[in-house]
Amino acid sequence: MNAALLNTVARPFQARALHVSLGVLLIAAPAAAQSLTYARDIAPLIVDRCAMCHHPGGSAPFSLLTYADAKRRATQIAAVTKSRFMPPWKADPGDGPFVGQHPLSDAEIRLIERWAGEGAAEGDPRDMPPPRAWSEGWQLGTPDLVLTLDQPYTLPPEGTDVFRIFVLPIPVDAARFVRGLEFRPGNPRVVHHANIRVDATPASRRLDDQDPAPGYDGLIAHSAQYPDGHFLGWTPGQVVPLLPKDLAWRLEKRTDLVVQLHMQPSGKAEVVAPSVGLYFGDAAPARTPAMLRLGRQNIDIPAGDARYVVTDSYVLPVDVEVQAVQPHAHYRAHDVRGLATLPDGSTKRLIDIADWDFRWQHVYRFVTPLRLPKGTTVSMRYVYDNSADNPRNPQQPPKRARWGQRSSDEMGDLWIQVLTRDVPDLERISRDFRPKVAAEDVRGYEVEIEKHPDDTALHDDAALLYLELGRHESAIAHFRTSAKLKPQSAAAHYNLGTALTLARRLDEAAGEYRAALGIDPAYANAHNNLGNVLIAEGKVDEAIVEFREVVRLQPDSPAGLKNLAAAYAMAGQFERAVDTAEAALRLNPAETLAGEIRRLKALYVQHKRPVP
Amino acid sequence: MRRLLTAIVLAGILPIAPRAGPRVGPHAGHRVGHRFSGAGAGVGAAAEQLRVQHIDGGAADPFAAPAGVTAIVFLFTSTDCPISNRYAPEVRRLAAAFAPRGVVFRLIYPNPAERAPAIREHMTAFAYAGATQALRDPEHALVKFVGATVTPEAAVYAGGHIVYRGRIDDRYVDLGLERPAPTRRDLAQALTAVIAGKPVLQPTTQAVGCFIADFVR
Repeated sequence: MNAALLNTVARPFQARALHVSLGVLLIAAPAAAQSLTYARDIAPLIVDRCAMCHHPGGSAPFSLLTYADAKRRATQIAAVTKSRFMPPWKADPGDGPFVGQHPLSDAEIRLIERWAGEGAAEGDPRDMPPPRAWSEGWQLGTPDLVLTLDQPYTLPPEGTDVFRIFVLPIPVDAARFVRGLEFRPGNPRVVHHANIRVDATPASRRLDDQDPAPGYDGLIAHSAQYPDGHFLGWTPGQVVPLLPKDLAWRLEKRTDLVVQLHMQPSGKAEVVAPSVGLYFGDAAPARTPAMLRLGRQNIDIPAGDARYVVTDSYVLPVDVEVQAVQPHAHYRAHDVRGLATLPDGSTKRLIDIADWDFRWQHVYRFVTPLRLPKGTTVSMRYVYDNSADNPRNPQQPPKRARWGQRSSDEMGDLWIQVLTRDVPDLERISRDFRPKVAAEDVRGYEVEIEKHPDDTALHDDAALLYLELGRHESAIAHFRTSAKLKPQSAAAHYNLGTALTLARRLDEAAGEYRAALGIDPAYANAHNNLGNVLIAEGKVDEAIVEFREVVRLQPDSPAGLKNLAAAYAMAGQFERAVDTAEAALRLNPAETLAGEIRRLKALYVQHKRPVP
Repeated sequence: MRRLLTAIVLAGILPIAPRAGPRVGPHAGHRVGHRFSGAGAGVGAAAEQLRVQHIDGGAADPFAAPAGVTAIVFLFTSTDCPISNRYAPEVRRLAAAFAPRGVVFRLIYPNPAERAPAIREHMTAFAYAGATQALRDPEHALVKFVGATVTPEAAVYAGGHIVYRGRIDDRYVDLGLERPAPTRRDLAQALTAVIAGKPVLQPTTQAVGCFIADFVR
């Protein structure tokens, strides 16, 4: 490159001059310090390191492709490169290498500063590097499906950082395999980054519907997740390449794309209309990554504490290849590090960010996946500054900061995307890791519940996590609070009944199911679970009444008929049991259920009771 | 002193328009927070001759103001500086809050490439029209006089001299580093002091924004 060449030539020359007499130096200086020009020295740097965003229609707020563009911002370019605000890359240059990393060297930064200081000359246009074509449209080509907002959002003129969640239904008529997702901000002046998730439930859509304006202001629903261990999201300048065909992720029908935009108001009202392009492959994935998440949800930083440390670690139960990492924290984090310690004691750096900036949340994708053997400890260590000296501190004077999704709260996560050798290893690491992440999530819910003790959705989610962890009594306590807060909700009593059933507190469970049915007599699941409790208590005749009600309410449900057949068999009514099992099979149940019903029917034919 | 001499030279080559109204103070000084003595001589003369331009052309005396005006705020701005523009609601709020106390806000556009149509469009888009006056300073006469280096930067002229020059508040610490909310509102504090007849405790602060040096001269 011209610029680098010039720099290496110029320095030895000046060094030599210093050894000659002062007089010679004074005369030689003007000739030696050949003045820098845009065409020869600066344009190659801009094309290579800046123009991927700073081109017309790019993700940066202005273009830098022409001399006039660069000249009118020369001092600014020198200042922001010197402070390393631009190009925006927070990771230590020694990490990675990562996809999309285009740092400026110290020498290149000095070159820009000199050029600006000398008056930002244009030079001979014939020295310009060959022009490079920048696509103003989709960088990955024409998408198979483009998602847009029904109506654009209008961002108010003022405020610091605005976060808003948009829910985009994905109109596919069958499951598809996604190889790429490209996000276009629509208004790069104000759209700063996007967190993207997929929600297979209607939860996000409901939250959106409650807010009359496009999108909603609030938290990302628990059910909105990264799909199949894949990162989704956008920061300026990052276009995620298409996934290899065997790594696509499965997109189901009737799912929504959940896009949380981080926007910075511009001083006037701005129309925001982002779009998302999806690129489909034609085959189901042969490999699926696992997503590990280190981090703590019991973060509790005293006001004024300038060195609050959060650490976490996990020992890999299988060999993996790290594909990508994404650190996440809010405004107070400043030193963010992830490390892998191999069984032999050697270490590999995952990520090092010495000056964390919440506004540049990259996904760092390794150019060459990082191989870590079984027994490696992956760890994180984040340091937070909750003092008044941290200019990014959202609370002045500082206040106690606890875990939470809101930007005034704090978070500390290190997401690590790994590929395993094979499917059994994937299942093993998923099974091994799940309790760790559920236990951490439950801590986060307890913090949120302390802040919002009357939020029944928080109690319900926490209880479900406790059930997953096998902590039935804690689940019962949260469902009981929900039922007290919403005594007229049949679902609340049903949930409490289910947790009591799992804890084998059958009498109390039956009471809650009856309470649910008192509110909603047509609650088929409550009849079903009550039937199961009655069977367990040996009250078979009463159970049959409940299961008959299930079948009456849900005549198309093979599961209901299966349970009724079992109850008949328990009561010794084997012919009825066989007839009912056959009726269930006529409804074409899914293969697993059908196999089970056939097996049971064979028992009933031999006048044998099922094992409850 | 170099800055001052440049101001005299530049002011000298501009056509002098009729005085629009009585002056805010008897004399202007280029040194922030310092009152100059000696009517009609030296520094005072520089201010008297200093001219900027009306949006549609024609020389304008930036210090001219109707009776009852206690201070003029020069707010250096440019049409496409993101930091400048993000301050528009705050500037309008300050202008409205201090107007009843005799403070006039004047937007100064120092970029010679920004002409009447672009300035009008900018003032409409950011709702400045009606809230503030606007002048062009393509020769950087006023820029040099007050020592402004970036947009947005404010200078407060009262009692015949510049009593404050710097940031609006401390929201921006550096390019790329900003506070979620300001902790010091320097311009408002300066104006409050001026209105109360008290000295401005911190007459200069470092503004953060787009460099005026980058505007083609």
